[in-house]
Amino acid sequence: MSEALLALFSGSLGSLAGWTATLRETAPLLITGLAVALAFRGGVWNIGAEGQLLAGALCATAVATRLWEGAPALWLAPAVALAGAFGGALFGALAGALRAARGVSEVISTILLNFVAGSLVALAIHGPLQEASRAYPKSDPFPAAALLPSFGRVHAGLLAALLLAALGHALLYRTPFGFRLRAVGLAPTAARFAGISPGRMAVTTLALSGALAGLAGAFEVAGVTGQLYEGLSAGTGYTAIAVALLARLQPLWVIPSAFFFGALEAGAAAMQREAGVPAVATQIVQGLVILVAAGASIRRRAGGARAEAG
Amino acid sequence: MEALLEATLRLAAPLLLAALGELVIERAGLIDIGIEGTMLTGAFAGFVVAVATGSPLAGVAAAAVAGTAVGALFAAFAVFGRVDQIVVGTAVNLLALGATGAGSRALYGGAPPSAPTLGALAEGPLAELPWLGALVFAQTPFVLAAWALALAIGVVLARTRPGLRLRAVGESARAADAEGVSVPRVRAAAVLIGSSLAGVAGAALTLAQSDSFTEGMTAGRGFIALAIVIFGRWSALGVLLASLFFGCATALQFRLQARGVGIPYPVFLMFPYLVTLAVLALATGRARAPADLGRAYAREAS
Amino acid sequence: MLDGVSLEVAQGEVLALLGENGAGKSTLMNVLAGLVRPDAGGLELAGERVDLAGWGPRGARDRGVGMVHQHSALVPAFTLAENLGFGETRAGRWFRPSAERRAAEEQSRRFELEAPADRRVEELSPGQRQRAEILRALGRGARLLILDEPTAVLTPGEASSLFAAVRRLRDAGRAVIFISHKLAEVEQIADRVTVLRRGRVVANLSARELGARELGRLMLGRDLPPLERSGAQPGEPRLALRGLSVPGVREASSLRGLDLEVRAGEIVGVVGIDGNGQLELEETLAGVRKPSGGEVEVSGRRVALRPRALRRAGLAHLSGDRERAGLVRGMSLAENFILKGSWDDRRFFRGGKIDLGAAERATREAAARFGIVPPEPDRDIASLSGGNAQKLAVARELDGDPPVLVAVNPTRGLDVGSARFVHEQLLARRAKGGAVLLISAELDEVLALADRVVALVRGELRVVPPGADRAAIGAILLGAGGA
Repeated sequence: MSEALLALFSGSLGSLAGWTATLRETAPLLITGLAVALAFRGGVWNIGAEGQLLAGALCATAVATRLWEGAPALWLAPAVALAGAFGGALFGALAGALRAARGVSEVISTILLNFVAGSLVALAIHGPLQEASRAYPKSDPFPAAALLPSFGRVHAGLLAALLLAALGHALLYRTPFGFRLRAVGLAPTAARFAGISPGRMAVTTLALSGALAGLAGAFEVAGVTGQLYEGLSAGTGYTAIAVALLARLQPLWVIPSAFFFGALEAGAAAMQREAGVPAVATQIVQGLVILVAAGASIRRRAGGARAEAG
Repeated sequence: MEALLEATLRLAAPLLLAALGELVIERAGLIDIGIEGTMLTGAFAGFVVAVATGSPLAGVAAAAVAGTAVGALFAAFAVFGRVDQIVVGTAVNLLALGATGAGSRALYGGAPPSAPTLGALAEGPLAELPWLGALVFAQTPFVLAAWALALAIGVVLARTRPGLRLRAVGESARAADAEGVSVPRVRAAAVLIGSSLAGVAGAALTLAQSDSFTEGMTAGRGFIALAIVIFGRWSALGVLLASLFFGCATALQFRLQARGVGIPYPVFLMFPYLVTLAVLALATGRARAPADLGRAYAREAS
Repeated sequence: MLDGVSLEVAQGEVLALLGENGAGKSTLMNVLAGLVRPDAGGLELAGERVDLAGWGPRGARDRGVGMVHQHSALVPAFTLAENLGFGETRAGRWFRPSAERRAAEEQSRRFELEAPADRRVEELSPGQRQRAEILRALGRGARLLILDEPTAVLTPGEASSLFAAVRRLRDAGRAVIFISHKLAEVEQIADRVTVLRRGRVVANLSARELGARELGRLMLGRDLPPLERSGAQPGEPRLALRGLSVPGVREASSLRGLDLEVRAGEIVGVVGIDGNGQLELEETLAGVRKPSGGEVEVSGRRVALRPRALRRAGLAHLSGDRERAGLVRGMSLAENFILKGSWDDRRFFRGGKIDLGAAERATREAAARFGIVPPEPDRDIASLSGGNAQKLAVARELDGDPPVLVAVNPTRGLDVGSARFVHEQLLARRAKGGAVLLISAELDEVLALADRVVALVRGELRVVPPGADRAAIGAILLGAGGA
């Protein structure tokens, strides 16, 4: 037991290697956490960050290893990131369009699209994107020009993620778009009478949310793994939901929340390596955190009701 | 043809059981996306107990109990705590995935043993009867139980007072409350019953369709069950037909796959989810969900 | 909410509980129905003391208290038979649709209250729905029947048949509590009146002792001077509907080729029973429902029926329902004040940014001018009373003097003071040359304010002749006369 806890600590915050692992895990959680937080704030239940992340990674890989692999770094790295955002946005917008046009609940469609995205990645790395020797189910390694610059083992994606959190905050509270997004999320009927179309907002919000998740996917392949393979994301998009809820859907609070879960993931990996405690147990913690965060909202409400009655 | 029908019934059974569970819950006005995790928990608990006791029936009972326990967790937060149902469902799914994954590694390391399974209802001459043999006697008890439950749930919802009360709570919690029906109690009961069915649905995967447990083995079947309830328009008969449709689609998929028609393997993996999306896109338009579906209920003091 | 209230009602008596919105009538009745638990006090039924600690909806029902709610408490997707059946505790576990339907029809005959037993409640007219609800209460053996604002959704004709039914029940020895804020009704039906004001009983007297004027003063605690209005001087047409057809929620509520003009400086009232196209007309003029034919002109120009285009053309929309009024709970007063301008209002939205400072200044100004309490721009609108939230909506809609105002049930749920304020604002708009279309289920409100009245019946407009009395209007609303 103590051995496991020691591993958990040294693998996350107790050593330099632990810190770099933690920060590496934090970057995708921060961006996907933002994606989920923005969607939930807009009244859209995007459970599909996982699939959007994979779709982003897929598009990024296609650009980096097939479509434009010879381009100079100045162009290729941004193109890879954009391709990732595009792939994720496409998946998000698809769910949004199904809801707006056919009334399909985005809860179910985004979940189903997660499985579709996983299969598409499998299809790609057994087919058009498979590495040159055709022996392994993975893509060619990215050309150096497509890789994200990194500092030690922490890639520039983390900086971008921090910037995105600040931008997300500004978007939500300082721009007319964020204003409308919050209005639709709080009261869709009122928003509709105020001239904001909830259907169109759902498509836009899901596309934006998907773009963020897709960007996270691009950063993973271009910053961490350097190639695409199955199991690239072991549930990052689901953990993102816990990240967003712990942050109470506030973009700036997503930063510490993502850091917490990043440390947990990094520590759990070390725990499995060194003490044989299965890393999947972190999902238990994620589930519990969601319930505890939700439980806090029950207490707040009960307190509010008492105050009102008194 | 006979073989295809046989496979359809077999593959539809777990989906039907899970979808019936979700149907009961949704008719009471709750969306439980945690049904996936509930099913997974049932699959694991059923497997563990069947391995330990050597009795597949004990495994099924354990799956039902485990499903009910997960349901109790869901009900505590979603019904009594009035936390958003999607949020609680997501938490349940994560918890179930983590707990069963960790539990399976802790108990069996990397190599889980084989579980004793529930075999066909009858062997020998009965199972060799034309049609009847393949469609009834060669099937596992899960198939028969699923059909019987579909019938029973249909009758209870339409023709009994408890069923009527359950529907009233889902259609208008306020009206039910004003008539003296305890909304939380009815909803919690629906969640417990529905979740136990989902648990048994999981056991059908580990104790009949295979004899083993692998991490995350429900692979979205619970989510497909959610779609089946919509496609089946919130009726027991509709859910029965919709699950047969999905069973048939899966059976066809396996056939094509076995024949090796040159379609890459991942395409088959994607197939059920794409079918589900297509069905939802085509079916949602005219369907009528319970009016209070997904809405937490609190009595207003005015 | 309630402060030391005492109330008594005898068998064979109709007690009217009179009070303005917010006086505590509904709270009191919810205590009786077991939906709200009081902090102190006791309850006796038929001389027997009731333990209030364990008092709940089922207990209330079993002890013979039957409640007919203001907003129907029937399950809309159920038939009457199913509604009667689901809460029944004495019958067996099985529900046999045909037998239950016959029982419902039998009950309907016995109490002389007509309501179809085998159609979904959501398909019934408001009057049928209400009778169904009374039937259910009586079927449960209710000895005390509570009717909460029962005439709010009825035509005058339906209301008088309700009164007849109430008298029959009284003569059969049941006790009836009749909740209302309409003085004329109370005079007509009550044996005794209890007047409630701000959670206290201010009078308890026989109905014959006092006239309507006196009762009104008791209810409000003051005399309200009659609304002041100048003679109408209508100018150019500002709002015109030309052959407007709109598919409805139901067949009977589809709008069929409406033609109507509202001129500058006049208030045109649209009376009618909910479900005859009011909702569709409101949504079309708010730009959230697509018409199938015809057009709408604002100030002589055809407008696209979308929220932003209508707003830009100078049409403002005011509703008594918070959501439909476009008020977002969870947002501040200031954010709500600028909500409709997020696309084009340069005062608050410039260069892709929100000027929250400007919004707060404008809100503070509006709060001072319209008497919004508390006047704090950063406060969540959900924490305001209905009247104050509505004042903010009024302030927002009248901001910039729009030539056309569409007001839909603008005082629904407001206390008398706030309702009065809204009425004065509508008249002020008219005096300043605005065109006002007032769509309201409150006949009295329309009669008090409108220069011209039309009736919306089954999706068609009928002219109401000037000076028509309630009975004549009732006949028009039922589709009998006037066509």
